[in-house]
Amino acid sequence: MNNHLRALRAARGWSQQHLAEQLEVSRQSVNAIETGRYDPSLPLAFRIAELFELAIEDVFVSPSKEK
Amino acid sequence: MFSIRRGEKLNPAQRRYLRRFFPAMTMYVLVLFACTAMIRDQKPQGAMLALLSVAPALPIVAAILVMGAYLIEERDEFIRTRLATAMLGGLGIMLVITSIWGFLENGGAVGHFPTFLTFPVWCGCFGLWQCAMGLRDRFAGDGA
Repeated sequence: MNNHLRALRAARGWSQQHLAEQLEVSRQSVNAIETGRYDPSLPLAFRIAELFELAIEDVFVSPSKEK
Repeated sequence: MFSIRRGEKLNPAQRRYLRRFFPAMTMYVLVLFACTAMIRDQKPQGAMLALLSVAPALPIVAAILVMGAYLIEERDEFIRTRLATAMLGGLGIMLVITSIWGFLENGGAVGHFPTFLTFPVWCGCFGLWQCAMGLRDRFAGDGA
């Protein structure tokens, strides 16, 4: 599933490690989500969206809307 | 079981796993040598022979339980998913190997496969699957 996580993180000047610590996950998890190799669970997706103070669909692209 | 990159720390579940797994493996080596020596030197019979024969399996059972506990206790869902995938992948390879071996053995083409080797074989297959996943990630650009 595509997402805007890398761009959102970069806009805040956060490293993957910093984001991982905020979310209480490993840096590998952040990297895997950013590169689309891993789709987070719904609770983790909500935690990510809430951390960026965005709606979940502003962070993750619905598969039905991907080109 | 899990990979840690330079500069990264073990999480609490990983630390607990290591604190439990290494004593189990140390106990396995000690019990194996002790029981093998006692069976060879004292030639026990009956219940004592059965007890000494099965004793080295108990630390292996403990190690399997420790691995299961880590899978349950790991809070990082990505690591847990990878682990479960590698465990299932390793199990698949092991089933392929033992199925083929069983038919070859049945036909008399190869010797008997000692079943106590099933766990080490699975560990090897599990490790292979993890290596394959690591290589795939590296080629997919997990260099950050």
